[in-house]
Amino acid sequence: MTPVYLSGRGLACALGLDVKESVAALPQNSAATAFCSLPGVQGGRFPYRAIAHAGRDWNERTRSLVQRVAVEAGAEQARGGALFIATSSFDIGAVEQGAAGMNYDAFAKKMASWLAWTGPAYVISTACTSGLNAVIAAHALLNAGDVEEALVLGVELDNRLSQGGFAALQLLSPSSSKPFAVQRDGLVLGEAVAALRLSTREPSRWKILGGATVVDGKQPTGAAASAVVAMYQRALMQSGLTAEAIDLIKVQAAGSPGNDAVEAQGLREAFQKVPPLVSLKAAIGHTMGASGVAEMALLTACLDQGAWPTYADPIDEALGVDLIAHRPDSVRHVMATILGFGGSHATVVLACA
Amino acid sequence: MKDFHISGRCLVTSPPPDWGEQLTQLLGSKPRRIGTWAELGLYGALRCMADAGETTLPQDAIVMLTSRRGTYAATSAALEQMHNDLPMPLTFLQTQPGQMLALLAAQMNWRGNACFFAGARLQDLLRLAAAQAGDGGVLLGCVDEIDGGSTHWLRLRRGVTEKYDSVATLSDWISSPEGSPAGQNNTGERGAE
Repeated sequence: MTPVYLSGRGLACALGLDVKESVAALPQNSAATAFCSLPGVQGGRFPYRAIAHAGRDWNERTRSLVQRVAVEAGAEQARGGALFIATSSFDIGAVEQGAAGMNYDAFAKKMASWLAWTGPAYVISTACTSGLNAVIAAHALLNAGDVEEALVLGVELDNRLSQGGFAALQLLSPSSSKPFAVQRDGLVLGEAVAALRLSTREPSRWKILGGATVVDGKQPTGAAASAVVAMYQRALMQSGLTAEAIDLIKVQAAGSPGNDAVEAQGLREAFQKVPPLVSLKAAIGHTMGASGVAEMALLTACLDQGAWPTYADPIDEALGVDLIAHRPDSVRHVMATILGFGGSHATVVLACA
Repeated sequence: MKDFHISGRCLVTSPPPDWGEQLTQLLGSKPRRIGTWAELGLYGALRCMADAGETTLPQDAIVMLTSRRGTYAATSAALEQMHNDLPMPLTFLQTQPGQMLALLAAQMNWRGNACFFAGARLQDLLRLAAAQAGDGGVLLGCVDEIDGGSTHWLRLRRGVTEKYDSVATLSDWISSPEGSPAGQNNTGERGAE
């Protein structure tokens, strides 16, 4: 088994156009909130965490952001390796503009051409867990020695279908994302383009130990507590760690009344003593298929630089879990979790040197 | 590729007229509002599992699903609905290919690693499968609603007696223009319709 390092990261999200800007803006929770207006009886005006990067042409804006985060992550050193693209909405924003045709192959080729990518390209779409599933797949390929480099790219940008679909399912908050809070009333969606460069030839401070993904069909629109438990147990087993070794978990905690409660129950059942928890959704919104990649980039940068999110809303004590208000003093092993549609539950285990 | 043997398969292009009734029998009840693409996927996957003599997968098996156009029809419908209103909730859910994996997992009473790869090449999936799958092997599918419909599935195991000629089947799949074997039924004969 070859060690797999997180050797580079790039991020464009509502907080900023790169990792440095995003980390600097995080403690103030100063991301500007945009709004989307949706038609119909259940439509209306919903807050939305947009990237402050101008451009009306979906393809051109996406190309610019993809190239930007890839450069930041050091993609040029990975170009012959494997490319993993994670998304739940593909280029539906371009389809809505009449500039694309709902063709997976064309989408993959477009992304690869923007990056001048020469290696194999995988496009993973498992709704909100797409990003972490891409990291888990890339880790497996690197760990097996099949490739020495991989770039995992999360792409989730403005489109009306995603916003309309979440609104139709009555999952959106009319105000703000309130993770694990008493007053939580739904998700706030967001945009993100993020990149993680995984390498077996360039050691770094962060090592990816493994991860687990568990699809459970009993609850196809959300999480199941027993599946959350199975996910953590499998990830710990795969990483060779015990539950006590985990110093911090970045949770899903998107502010959903039902799903946050299920996640909290799963955490309580999986861990005799629940480790410190952190959520990034209030700061950048739920960036769906890109969320795993974007939140891993932001989380590791926060831990490296000592920045930490703030939570404005009081925690729901009935959930039996809490969010830590400051960076833990000593962090060696971290888990990053995303739960989503399709009964999909995923977590990645990282070690910090 | 060399690691795996085919222990079951379902290779259907242009499904027979009664495939919906066959699916109802396989499921034990009529599928409700899951969309044609997911129905085609379940039809092929469950027939493949039956061919392999299995009703569920081992815990360490993985499910890999690919497609050329995937949920194209449901996405078109949802976009059409968005002209004047929000999409219907079930239509929006049908746009997410991962829903099919959840339905299949529920039908098999199984819980594990299942992933959708859009427009993937078989050789890339096999390479990844070799790195990810445990002894439980892989259930690998390619499902499309377009061009009359197709649902192609292989149950791949390590260390089992080969039921079909793996090299010929996989080579046929890889060399076909659309990346999936064309015009075959479950036993590898042409003209399933």
